[in-house]
Amino acid sequence: MAKRRDRNFLGPAGTSLGLGEFWALTAAGFVLFFAVWGGVAASGWLPPNLLPSPLAVWDTLVRLWNQPFAGHVYAEHLSASIQRFLMGWAIAVGIGVPLGLLMGWYRLLDEIVTPLFDAMRFVAPLAWVPLAALWFGTGIGGPLLIIFVGSFAPCVISAYRGARLVETRLVEAAQTLGASSRQVMLHVLIPGALPSIIAGLRVSAGLGWQSLVGSELIVVGAGLGYLMVQGQGNLNTTVVIAGMVGIGVVGFAIDVLLRAVEAAFKRKWGQA
Amino acid sequence: MPTEARSSGWGFAVPRRAVVGLATVGGALLLWWLATSGLRLLNPLRLPSPQEVWAAFSQISTGQGYGGATLWQHALHSLWLVAKGFAVAVATGIPLGLLMGWSRRAEALINPIFLLLRPIPALAWIPLAIVWFGLGDTGKVFVIWLTAFVPSVINAFTGVRGVDPVLIAAARTQGASTAQVIRHVVVPGAMPMIFTGLRLSLQASWTTLVAAELVGAFFGLGRVLNVAGQDIFPGMILVGMAAVAACGAATTWLLGRAERRVVNWRPAV
Amino acid sequence: MSEIVFEGVTRRFPLPRGGEFLAIDRIDLRIEEREFVAIVGPSGCGKTTLMRMAAGLDFPTDGRVLVGGKEVTGPGPERAVVFQQFALLPWKTVRENIGFGLMCKRTPKAEADAAIARYVELMGLSGHEDSFPHQLSGGMQQRVAIARAYVMQPAALLMDEPFGALDAQTRIVMQEELVRLARRNPRTVIFITHAVDEAIYLADRVVVMGRNPGRIIETIDIRPLREDGGWEAMPIEEVMDTPAFTHMRSRIWKLLKAREQERPAAPAPIPATVPAK
Ligand SMILES: Nc1ncnc2c1ncn2[C@@H]1O[C@H](COP(=O)(O)OP(=O)(O)OP(=O)(O)O)[C@@H](O)[C@H]1O
Ligand SMILES: [Mg+2]
Repeated sequence: MAKRRDRNFLGPAGTSLGLGEFWALTAAGFVLFFAVWGGVAASGWLPPNLLPSPLAVWDTLVRLWNQPFAGHVYAEHLSASIQRFLMGWAIAVGIGVPLGLLMGWYRLLDEIVTPLFDAMRFVAPLAWVPLAALWFGTGIGGPLLIIFVGSFAPCVISAYRGARLVETRLVEAAQTLGASSRQVMLHVLIPGALPSIIAGLRVSAGLGWQSLVGSELIVVGAGLGYLMVQGQGNLNTTVVIAGMVGIGVVGFAIDVLLRAVEAAFKRKWGQA
Repeated sequence: MPTEARSSGWGFAVPRRAVVGLATVGGALLLWWLATSGLRLLNPLRLPSPQEVWAAFSQISTGQGYGGATLWQHALHSLWLVAKGFAVAVATGIPLGLLMGWSRRAEALINPIFLLLRPIPALAWIPLAIVWFGLGDTGKVFVIWLTAFVPSVINAFTGVRGVDPVLIAAARTQGASTAQVIRHVVVPGAMPMIFTGLRLSLQASWTTLVAAELVGAFFGLGRVLNVAGQDIFPGMILVGMAAVAACGAATTWLLGRAERRVVNWRPAV
Repeated sequence: MSEIVFEGVTRRFPLPRGGEFLAIDRIDLRIEEREFVAIVGPSGCGKTTLMRMAAGLDFPTDGRVLVGGKEVTGPGPERAVVFQQFALLPWKTVRENIGFGLMCKRTPKAEADAAIARYVELMGLSGHEDSFPHQLSGGMQQRVAIARAYVMQPAALLMDEPFGALDAQTRIVMQEELVRLARRNPRTVIFITHAVDEAIYLADRVVVMGRNPGRIIETIDIRPLREDGGWEAMPIEEVMDTPAFTHMRSRIWKLLKAREQERPAAPAPIPATVPAK
């Protein structure tokens, strides 16, 4: 009966994998990753201080958890990074979202801010590092500015888009029902813009976390990035990779969390 | 967006947006000059005046330059690194993404590796890159490759999945082989999405490069920023930032031209 | 050697929540060589599914589909398909779209160019050879799709609501053009449509389908009417005014309506074969 010449005869859209095959391949993918890493590490082609085995990284993680490295234990580095990120990101969201909404509603503000925004758009966030250090020092202020610069743009853009997307029809409908301008804002404009804003928050959190990593490589005295730089200075690759693991885990957690928020909002308002 | 024009009095219309935009930028520049030089409200070690920036620009553009080379040499060096890393990422990432998009088996097998590596930003690879490759160019090309690789794969993948199955069916009824379907239907269909990914990763590549050069480099715009920061030379810092922006804008413009050439079949937006 | 035969064809689709949906139930149909058969029926009765099985894009769960005596194992250039959604490649020009099948067959360039030029001319597309599909009107896009099918010199043509997306005027022009083409070089044709008028005007036989499950209600031979009424010589609007035509039309309408009343539509099985767009 099966007559298609190959499974992708009509492209991937028509095909599907059996559940068994899917999980077998996925498991194989995981195994392959660690096998190649462990295999290369064990083969002795590379000196172990260039590529430690997965197990060595795990041991180091456990050790860093209990013993201070670069002045602090792992959990302290972790929380330093997370706190810094949360502060910078909160500032970016707190300024960026209202600014974007206002730009969406008031044309003059849009016309004033957009050219400035465009002029700054191509300055890579990390290029702010020297100026940030000059203005706010390398303690807490400097990195905050970098995180802010890294995550600000998507906040503004998504709020602006969201405000623009709310149909004038809805606003007019609310007005004919007797809503005051404050009520229109509260019940029509902000909820209408929310899906776009939340999608933008996810992007901006990802970029903010990246910028945090970058800033910590350069200007800070604690945090995961700093841990890695110290590890690199001692040519201690296991510490570097242990730092990367932490950064990956937190980045992943941020993404999952915001995706869940996004999904919850979509469910509530039935928006695709 | 409504861009009604107002009569300029010279017999041609000027869009309102342009008027306000020019006024804003002009006003900002004036404010900058007043605050730093005109009224001396700000400490010049915090924010340099336009004249100081111009002086820094003249210094780095001529003769010995600054940080070991002239601005053009630094900029060319950075551009070259971005071009190399980006090219390698495109050459490796797009085929992989196409493969994962076309074959659900390949997707299931390769996806776990992405799940493990994707949450780690390319910037976090910089220390490892330095241990592996030192402070030279190889490590920088490596991290730029990492930066641009992931979006290339993901967007090529998404692009393939977005191709209308009816188009594939139509090509098949015309007698197209699998290779012909991929070449004439799948790849062109995925192109717009691929370019979207390239635009994102190009911006990210500049961020990565600047970070890598700030951490340690012998040449490049990040090196300029680094030296200027250590010298507490605010004018030069601004020159460095402007140069990074100019390079980013120039490469984005080039990419946009390439996109319009390749994706020439879509209605203009 | 291109008669199309459905032998006890049944098609079930697995439902997302388990179980199966019976889309087509034991259909027997024979379409003779060079016969023009129109299929009418309500939305969701399995017209597209039937055509996809003749095209070799889908396969029966039970039964067989034979073309020219051989079981269908996949698409082939001897059976050209005109899709409900045109399905032109947006990144290829009119010329390249029409020539796509020839290119796949590695037809020598001179020969291919001549064939393309002929159909561009025939379908009134001159001057638009280098346009992209988005630059054409719906009617022109559909003409490209038909030219793309004809240029392959197929033995059989499978058309799925080819005029569904056109406005009334364009539609009439296209119907007359299709009749002209069909007279000039007759093919075995399956022509799917919602429009009863169109089916009667174009076809040798009209197959009326019903749904839940999809099956054939009746097959009506139009040829006697056409020959007795001398339709070939008349313009379409006059044909549609003849008593024979209106009578046939109401007969088919009644068939469709009776079935719908007798068996109210089951809860709509939604997912279509291919997402529109
Ligand atoms: N791939 C599929 N998976 C599940 N169900 C399908 C699939 N393809 C078609 N069906 C179902 O089979 C039935 C017949 O579909 P088909 O597209 O053939 O209808 P149709 O007669 O062409 O309708 P229309 O006139 O609207 O085009 C529909 O109820 C549809 O939901
Ligand atoms: Mg259909």
